[in-house]
Order: sequence, then structure tokens, then C-alpha cells
Amino acid sequence: MTRVALLRYPGTWSERDFQHALSLIPGVETEILWHEDADLRGFDAAIVPGGFSYGDYLRAGAIAKISPATKALRRFADDGKPVLGSCNGFQILCEAGLLPGALLRNAGLEYRCDWIHIRAESGRTPWTAGLAGQVLRMPIGHGEGCFVADPDTIASLEERGQVVFRYTDAAGVATPDANPNGSAANIAGVSNEAGNVVGLMPHPERCVEALLGGTDGYRVLAAVTRALEPAGRAVYR
Amino acid sequence: MRYVATLHVRTKPEVRDPQGEAALGALRSLGLEVSNVRTGKEIVVTFEAADEGAATEAIRVMGNELLANPVIEDYDYDLAAATPA
Repeated sequence: MTRVALLRYPGTWSERDFQHALSLIPGVETEILWHEDADLRGFDAAIVPGGFSYGDYLRAGAIAKISPATKALRRFADDGKPVLGSCNGFQILCEAGLLPGALLRNAGLEYRCDWIHIRAESGRTPWTAGLAGQVLRMPIGHGEGCFVADPDTIASLEERGQVVFRYTDAAGVATPDANPNGSAANIAGVSNEAGNVVGLMPHPERCVEALLGGTDGYRVLAAVTRALEPAGRAVYR
Repeated sequence: MRYVATLHVRTKPEVRDPQGEAALGALRSLGLEVSNVRTGKEIVVTFEAADEGAATEAIRVMGNELLANPVIEDYDYDLAAATPA
């Protein structure tokens, strides 16, 4: 059994969607943990879901970074355990310094709510094992998703394979039109140097059943169970 | 001692400021010859510290750890002893 912790901060809103999404994967057990007393001992992976933690006050994800849950998450990540942050979860991981870069207001200033395509650029993370080169269709919903970092950091991310997802068109080409928010180099998701911590702006938990318009999110969530239990077989829906 | 710190947080010059760009366009539409707009924020913190040195150290913690994100923002501050109410 793979045990996945879902962290809930005040204002987190995607934890139940993640719980439902993960319930579709055989051999996965989830628990939602309140940020004040989150104890990650005994868990195999942790997810920071999206939402508006602390109302996005100050900066998206800024106040969540000093929560006890984020301290626990830092230890968990240092132990090499898989951590995924989606949308506001990605913003929190960047603010906390668990991931490089920062997420700014979208270049067009608009909140973007849409279906987009991303290409998995690296298969070395537990969340993208077996997905390298695959083009995935996923929903986004964010106002602050413009990934930025200084040019040296971007170059080093590219060089070390830490760019995990890139916005592309349906054919997998990273064009300016395919970039929904002005992110540097069309970056939609990155990892830490070790590869166990991954953040992305799109919402894998919102595309896990045909009824929801797509199933590519299931592939990302199932990848981690494959990575943790190589003998287990995740069923593709 | 009670101190009041006024922190000015600005997006780094090399980082895009979409709010500033939107305000720039709007100001031009008023017929003004505006060439650049940068936005930022002012944060006023009232706090206790033993002396000015401790107060300065406290502001650095506030700025570096929470109130500004060093990846995208710079900040400066003014520090003053609070005037008794």
C-alpha cells in the first residue's frame, strides 16, 4: 500500500479532488493533513494541492511557507521522498525554497482557466517515470503562473534536466502561443536537483476520468505509485 | 523600545511587472507621455526590539524570510522609534 499525504492549509481547495483522483489508483491510500499538526511519518509521498492558501496575501504561497506543515515537508523532501505541488502548491514549494524560481502575475494579467498541453521533459522524477516526451492535456486555473528565474538559474535547470514540464501545442512544440502565462522558456513545471520534489501549474487531479474531459492527470499520479512499488502495476483508465 | 519600520518592496528591475505595464497603457490612454511604470508595495510594521541594532536585525529577518521574495523582489526600509500615543 502506498500512503500519500495531502496537505491542507487555510484556503487550500484541491485536496478532496486529489483524494478522489488517487482513490482510482489501486494500492493507494490517502490522508488529508491539517497544516498545523501535519506529521508525515509513515507516508510514502506528499502532495501540496492548489487553492488560495492564506488568501494569496502578500504573495501566492508566501505565508504558507512558514507553516509547521512546510517545515515537516522540508524534512520529508530532504529524506528523498516524492513531493508534488500543483498550482498554489507549486507556488508554496517555490516560496519555501524547495523548488527554484518564483511565480509571478500572468503576463497578460488575466486569470487563465483553460485546457492546455504540456510535454513531460524528464522521466527521472517519480511523478514522470515513463512519461518523458509524452504530451499531456491538462486544465489550468491561475492568475500567478508566470515562472521566472534569473538567466543563470534557467540555464542550469535546463542543463540538469530540472525542467519537468513545458507548455506546448497539441503536437508537442513549445510555441509562444502555447504559453498561457508568459513563463520563461514555456516552463510549466520544475523539480529540485535531486528530482524528488516536483511542482507544476496545471491540475493533474482534475483530469483523471473521461467524464472530466481527460485522463492524463491519472498518468502522472499513477507514475508515483509505479516508482514507489516497481512490482505493482497501475491500471491506465 | 517600540519601533516602526516602513518597508518598500519592489519587483527587481530585470523582472517584468505586468501591473506596471497595464498602468502604463492606461496612463497613456489619458493622453500623458508616460514612458515607464513600476509598481511595488509599502508595508508598515510596528514591533518591539531592545535597541536599534536589534530592530535592524529584525527587519532583515522580516524582509528576507517573508515580506519580500529575494528571487523576484528587492526592498529597502526606513526605521524610526515609535512616537508614544
